[in-house]
Amino acid sequence: MKKIKSFAAVVMALTMAIGMAACGNTGNGGSDDKPVKKGDQKTETIKNDEGEDVEVKVFTAFFAVPGNEVDEGNVVQDAIAEKIGAKCDMTWLTGQTAEEAIGVMIAGGEYPDFVDASSGMANMVDAGAFIPIDTLWDNYPNIKNFYTEEQWNAIRAEDGHVYIIPQFGNVWEKDTTCVHNDEAFWIQTRVLKWAGYPKIETLDEYFDVIEKYIEANPTMEDGTPNIGYEILCDDWRYFCLENAPFFLDGYPNDGCCIVDRDTHEAIDYNTTPTAKRYFQKLNEEYKKGIVDPETFTMNYDTYISKLSTGRVCGMVDQHWDFNDGELAIKAAGLDDCTYVPVGITIDKGIEEHWHSNSALDVSNGVGITTSCDDPEAAMQFLNDLLEPEILTLRNWGIEGVNYNKGDDGVFTRTEEMRKNADDQAYINANLCPYAYFPNYTGMDHDGINGCDANHQATEFYESLSDEVKECFDAYGVKTYVELCNPAEENSAWYPMWSYSNALTTDTPEGQVWADMASVKHEYLPKVCIAEDFDSAWEEYLSVYKDKCDVDGILLPAFNKEIQRRIDVAEGK
Amino acid sequence: MFKDPDFGKKLRNQKSLLLLSIPFVIYVLIFCYVPLFGWIMAFQRYKPRDGLFHSQFIGLENFRFLFRNEDFMIDVRNTLMMGIINLVLGTVCPIIFAILLSEFRFTIGKKVVQTISYLPHFLSMIILTGIVYDVLSMENGMMNKFLMTVGFIDKPVQWLAEEKYFWWIVGFANRWKETGWDSIIYLAAITSINPDLYEAASIDGAGRMRRIWHITLPGLKPTILILLIMNVGNVLNVGFELQYLLGNDLVKSVSETIDIYVLNYGIGKGNYAIGTAAGIFKSLVSIILIAIANTTAKAMGEESLY
Repeated sequence: MKKIKSFAAVVMALTMAIGMAACGNTGNGGSDDKPVKKGDQKTETIKNDEGEDVEVKVFTAFFAVPGNEVDEGNVVQDAIAEKIGAKCDMTWLTGQTAEEAIGVMIAGGEYPDFVDASSGMANMVDAGAFIPIDTLWDNYPNIKNFYTEEQWNAIRAEDGHVYIIPQFGNVWEKDTTCVHNDEAFWIQTRVLKWAGYPKIETLDEYFDVIEKYIEANPTMEDGTPNIGYEILCDDWRYFCLENAPFFLDGYPNDGCCIVDRDTHEAIDYNTTPTAKRYFQKLNEEYKKGIVDPETFTMNYDTYISKLSTGRVCGMVDQHWDFNDGELAIKAAGLDDCTYVPVGITIDKGIEEHWHSNSALDVSNGVGITTSCDDPEAAMQFLNDLLEPEILTLRNWGIEGVNYNKGDDGVFTRTEEMRKNADDQAYINANLCPYAYFPNYTGMDHDGINGCDANHQATEFYESLSDEVKECFDAYGVKTYVELCNPAEENSAWYPMWSYSNALTTDTPEGQVWADMASVKHEYLPKVCIAEDFDSAWEEYLSVYKDKCDVDGILLPAFNKEIQRRIDVAEGK
Repeated sequence: MFKDPDFGKKLRNQKSLLLLSIPFVIYVLIFCYVPLFGWIMAFQRYKPRDGLFHSQFIGLENFRFLFRNEDFMIDVRNTLMMGIINLVLGTVCPIIFAILLSEFRFTIGKKVVQTISYLPHFLSMIILTGIVYDVLSMENGMMNKFLMTVGFIDKPVQWLAEEKYFWWIVGFANRWKETGWDSIIYLAAITSINPDLYEAASIDGAGRMRRIWHITLPGLKPTILILLIMNVGNVLNVGFELQYLLGNDLVKSVSETIDIYVLNYGIGKGNYAIGTAAGIFKSLVSIILIAIANTTAKAMGEESLY
């Protein structure tokens, strides 16, 4: 009896202790009052060229976007590790939304060394999960000089510290991109070829070509039925459904609104006449059977697997979002089933702006977390990744293996190297661009080559399949970018999505923004499949106006931000 | 209990049993009771940066928000409806299946059917939803093909896009997964019924249906009631994965459950306090339900949990 009692006491004490420890963890304050830790970083041994063991530091990183994990012993990763004495194990988002993954991390209070929280960024900063980079960067010139003083100021959080490094869109010398990595109406080259490479300028013409193609070619060669059009609307990827209207009106991708070029006022693109015509068109095409009937019930994986079969003639998407599908199409040898962008608008005579110059996105970036044992070493790692030699390793690979260097210093690739670069299995085992760490686009630091194969016009054209070359020749272009209008100079407020991405439900405008998303998620698919379009559209509008005070709360907030950005640009 | 004069003696006799139960008591303490500490945040304007100890207390504000929130009330309705469908099907199907199996004369066949019926239980939900998705698919889905061959429908139905089907799809997917497994306990109860009863009944001229009705079912009654009471407490735990994985924007208004709400608001939007409040609401309703079921069973003079 006594024994049991004392045992029970021990158990109670133990549980209390565990409980207190667990709670104590969450009770920790933010980064301000916590000294930067100086601990030992985990290490790992790798073999260098001569087969000797070298010890390198190992960091961990989580990027709240989908990605491919590189294989253990990845060739380029080890080559970089050998040179800079550090590597990073990267994990990506799988089967969750970014908010969920980040929310779980915050609740647990444990993070990898580096995190890019994507749409969970505001919550990460709010939870005090990042260490201020600007207190450390004096010894790391590559980081400090990665952006100009003004750019860093735009990145600073409300408390004046820099917590994240936006890793994309930093152009070295000049923009040289050959690919349209952004959003567009995409169409397969086989459809264009069948139609005799017509000039497609409007939404009606686009669907007209697909309709006629499907009528003449109901199936692929092997008998699989062709699908005219897919609309992805899984979670945050529903931009494929909802944001085309502002492009169709000829505006660039501000993401959350149209900004009037003269008055600098924000306009809600969800309720414009163009939006109604666009959704009416989708509704018509759905009823005609051109749009895949399963389109609104499929998730992202199903979408990619449908694209991978080469059956899908067209869709709206960002190129990076369906890149995996296109790689699979290439791997299957279906060269006539890859996609090219068409820059269309709602009516003829509107100048389209599907392609934009890269812009600094201050709402996203990679940061070092409070869980990192050795922030100095982490800074060193980021700094080293920006060395010219390492940049070439990241973006091109290893000389003689992934590219050849001519006497004039120009990089070229053989047929086999090009094939390897499109092969997902080869990429995972051999290449390691550290894609979500800070990187330059545009030119390589040697001043001769593009920053990678997609930024090297001659090499790029040579690496295209014959089908795509034929299509390009028919339209008289050499790159994907030229299929759209040349990008206009970015306006001072561009891109407004870097503002809307950072909204949280703590503010009234953030609440409206969240409510809008929820209404659109629910009603837009219904509008597209409705028997009676007009009444469905009316219902959507009435719910939309009832639940979201866009005119009263959201647009004024956008206007304020637009004006603020204009003022910043003008140096006020 | 302490007034029992034999208490000390009982304790000594059952010492080994008590010792055996200790690990499970610890398990329950650590994983079920210690986390209750976090309920505090439901009464706070909780910020991860401030933690449990420094966040501002706001009383029942979070609960007030919940009950004024239309989405939450819809989710409560969905959870209850799917829970009830699940409770009814989950009670009836395994009993019928167990009785059918026990009436099976051919032993090898019985074993084979039984084993196959367990298999879906071991599938993970993600695989299960993949199968459900394929079966209901418009393109090559078994369901559409079958119904069209039989002539029930003349063009494929998009099962997962229609609000009216969703609850039933979840209900039957759950049944497909669990019926075999759930019937084990009833099968065990049936074997414990005295065979003499059946023999006596046959001599009195009772046919098979009569024997099932007057012997098997009454014999199962205590088991059925206990399980029913326990399942009533679980009505709101109708799950999360199936609805989360099968749901899409078109059926959002019927597919979201309280658990999905907690995930979206608590984890997704970083509003941990609202998520916790919703979780507390769910636990309270479950406790009330189980108390009602138990009292009713007791009042009817039947077997009860406590």
